[in-house]
Amino acid sequence: MLAHALRPSFPVLRPAFRRPAVLLRLPMKPEVLEMNALLGRVAAERDRTAFAALFSHFAPRVKAYLLRQGAPASLAEDLAQEALLNLWRKAHLFDPAKASVGTWLFTIARNLRIDAIRREKRPELDPEDFMPDSGPAADEGLVQADDEARLRLALKDLPADQIQVVELSFFADKPHSQIATELGIPLGTVKSRLRLAMSRLKRALGDAE
Amino acid sequence: MIHHHPSEDLLLAYAAGAADEAISLIVATHMTYCAICRLRGKKLDSLGGALLQELPPAALDAGALDNVLARLDSVTPYERPKRAVSRDGTPAPLRAYIGGDLSTVRWRKMGPRLAYAPLFKRGNVTARLLKGVPGADSGAHSHHGSEFTVVLQGGYTDVTGGYGPGDLQMMEDGMSHNVVADPGEDCINLAVTTGPLKFESLLQRIAAPLFGF
Repeated sequence: MLAHALRPSFPVLRPAFRRPAVLLRLPMKPEVLEMNALLGRVAAERDRTAFAALFSHFAPRVKAYLLRQGAPASLAEDLAQEALLNLWRKAHLFDPAKASVGTWLFTIARNLRIDAIRREKRPELDPEDFMPDSGPAADEGLVQADDEARLRLALKDLPADQIQVVELSFFADKPHSQIATELGIPLGTVKSRLRLAMSRLKRALGDAE
Repeated sequence: MIHHHPSEDLLLAYAAGAADEAISLIVATHMTYCAICRLRGKKLDSLGGALLQELPPAALDAGALDNVLARLDSVTPYERPKRAVSRDGTPAPLRAYIGGDLSTVRWRKMGPRLAYAPLFKRGNVTARLLKGVPGADSGAHSHHGSEFTVVLQGGYTDVTGGYGPGDLQMMEDGMSHNVVADPGEDCINLAVTTGPLKFESLLQRIAAPLFGF
């Protein structure tokens, strides 16, 4: 029971580490390339037209995310604008080979929300300060800039009831027990749907052999 | 070498921003020791990005873009804060809470072999550092709520196995264990509890509230 609870349900990651990174690299989806290129122009040239294009695509989605999290409309609006301002301020830190703008903005919006609504800090990793012997740095390079695009495709293939629990786990800021109560299904069903969905999503990233 | 990792649920809660500050500190501290979980975390961030992209866009206020464009000149480019480098291998996420390295912690004695240092408390959730000399014994205890532990130095053994630097243990409500510090250097752990501990010995039951446990 305990052993089960503690075992990482991600043992399948190890084989992926051993495969050469080149084989994993698929062509990035055009939209990710386009958005990453726009952010590149913001970083290099402070290009306002490129920024406006990013704003028009992402600000309404960031606002939608914050509304899902239960933020009042005016706060969601303010934080969405703030998130995009952060993008302008931090554009030079973005590495288009390792990330996508959508995922980066998700992490920015998540942290703004915790700060503003929960008035807590979210202890973060320092990306350059790991413990010695914590694993080869090359592992970090395996994060694919197009993971997000692959996951979007995989999400479209999931049954609706599985998408629902994944979304709620990410957006509802509620424990699984409360999600179960609100959906009127047993807690075990929430957990098994989530587990099924996550294993399919991981397969989409090529982690399972 | 890390043997004990956070469960999928715990990592998901961290990525989603649903985990509270103390649990997030546990996960972030473990990740500084564990490349596998750093990668797991990044994949979950990508899932957050994918879900965000799939959301139906919400209408912005009129003039939102103009408002932000007008502010672009007044914001300064972000610079990463200058990092104070740890001299004794203190995990970076913990440094802000300790106010320095592990060597600067002011320990409070709990008997001859154990010591603790409170970090913070939010509601029922408490984060603290615990230290035991080799062979020190926590006494059998169970939990009201869950207990999360990450080893920072040395190691300990309980009925479930051995734990060394970076290993994360989660004990759920009602599970009981007795932790013994391994031989060698002092064992130092980051421990987060979501409710008071329940000690089995009468003496500890009387003493625990005095130390805020």
